[in-house]
Amino acid sequence: MAYSEAEEVKGEAGNFTVKVRKKARYVEEDICTGCGICAEKCPIRVPDEYNMGLGKRKAIYRYFPQGIPAVFTIDSLHCTALKGKKCEVCVKVCEAKAINFEQGDRMVDLNVGAIILSTGYEVFDPSVIETYRYKSIPNVITSLEFERLLSAGGPTGGHLERPSDIAMRDELKALERRLGTAKSTIERFEKQYEKSTEEFYRDYKAGQLGDERDYKEWAVAHERLKDPELNKRFEELKAKEPTFHKAKSVAFVQCAGSRDLRFNFWCCSYGCMHSVKEAICAREHEPKMQSSIFYMDLRAHGKGFEEYCVRGAAEYGIQFVRARVAEITESPEDSKPLVWYEDAVTGKVEKQPFDLAVLVTACVPSKGIDKLSQMMGFKLDEAGFVKTDPASPVDTTVKGIFVCGCAQGPMDIPDSVSQASAAVSRAAQVIEKYG
Amino acid sequence: MSKDVLVIGGGIAGMQASLDLADQGIKVHLVERLPSIGGKMAQLDKTFPTNDCAI
Repeated sequence: MAYSEAEEVKGEAGNFTVKVRKKARYVEEDICTGCGICAEKCPIRVPDEYNMGLGKRKAIYRYFPQGIPAVFTIDSLHCTALKGKKCEVCVKVCEAKAINFEQGDRMVDLNVGAIILSTGYEVFDPSVIETYRYKSIPNVITSLEFERLLSAGGPTGGHLERPSDIAMRDELKALERRLGTAKSTIERFEKQYEKSTEEFYRDYKAGQLGDERDYKEWAVAHERLKDPELNKRFEELKAKEPTFHKAKSVAFVQCAGSRDLRFNFWCCSYGCMHSVKEAICAREHEPKMQSSIFYMDLRAHGKGFEEYCVRGAAEYGIQFVRARVAEITESPEDSKPLVWYEDAVTGKVEKQPFDLAVLVTACVPSKGIDKLSQMMGFKLDEAGFVKTDPASPVDTTVKGIFVCGCAQGPMDIPDSVSQASAAVSRAAQVIEKYG
Repeated sequence: MSKDVLVIGGGIAGMQASLDLADQGIKVHLVERLPSIGGKMAQLDKTFPTNDCAI
């Protein structure tokens, strides 16, 4: 049951009763064919959370193209028809007649013998680390954002464009569109009324023409086309356009919010390897890519991991710099982040410009875990992950409830998968005995 | 009494758990908050240390 949440859990091992809220998609799951015409025609564009806000999606959407179930969902926060305004374009274009604005949330009652928690984690929001200026410098991004830029299915089609350039290009396009529309409006009216715009505007301002709708529209278009601020910004961006370029150097700033008593004391456990992987992939995308990984100590603790780091340095030119980055500033002329650090080997304070600075963010407990813990009675540890005993790492403090993956604590994919199989084995024992 | 299992969260751990349970003939209910299963792993391009595609 996707798009659902457990809201009430009662009972004990072998016999839990659970109430699950199946949230309204406003699309009938068994009728929707997933063709996508609704999203193509939907007029509402909102930031896409799957792409970390770097791209846009529609108000009727699929979380990601390969997403399962392969049906669309209407986002009730942004859909104008659900807010009582006129639209319902999706209803008109849907050939399967799958849209249903009358659909409400549905409650489903379940009776189960055991429960496995695999609620995952949250990416730490690094904007609270003031010296890294995550929100104020556009080319300082998180590792998950970098991942989306690297992905062929991502917002840039796998091209490593810098967010500052993406934003300026979008603004330039929008300005071009606005000025272009104003120009064509003016041309249309000049033809229709056989009058030059200067002549019309003089007479209109002098009050000789009245307030007809056409005249108003004409005047607005003229004012927009002549607007000094719009034109100035347009010229500025146009002048900067030749400097837009793909990233050729990346700094990975390890432990952003991890192993730091001000934020989270624990290690995210996958950040070192994640950066090595991203640096290798970046070099595959861009042969001239120069990546530097600023680390405290490199934790390559799994099978084949050490070899992967060595290969990264030898074949993909990754520079490993032993340093804790102190601060990131921006060089104003080319929007490059400047990384300030003390090199632990030479003891010198250095600053180095990069096209992108990637903050390798901490792994923090998921937001809903407090609520689940209160509802189901299992305890959390001091970091806020689900509490377990080292000798039984998938058993929670409640009999019949098990945990696996990052809900238990930060871990990578191979560890999550093996914990999942371990939790299944424990759950099978419980239902055999009590279920 | 029930021999079904509820899995809360449809990321890589939850999906693996559900598949393992189903393979043993145990009925599973997988609950996911978002419109699609896949979790954080679905947002990754490739995975270490083999550079396999994540999806």
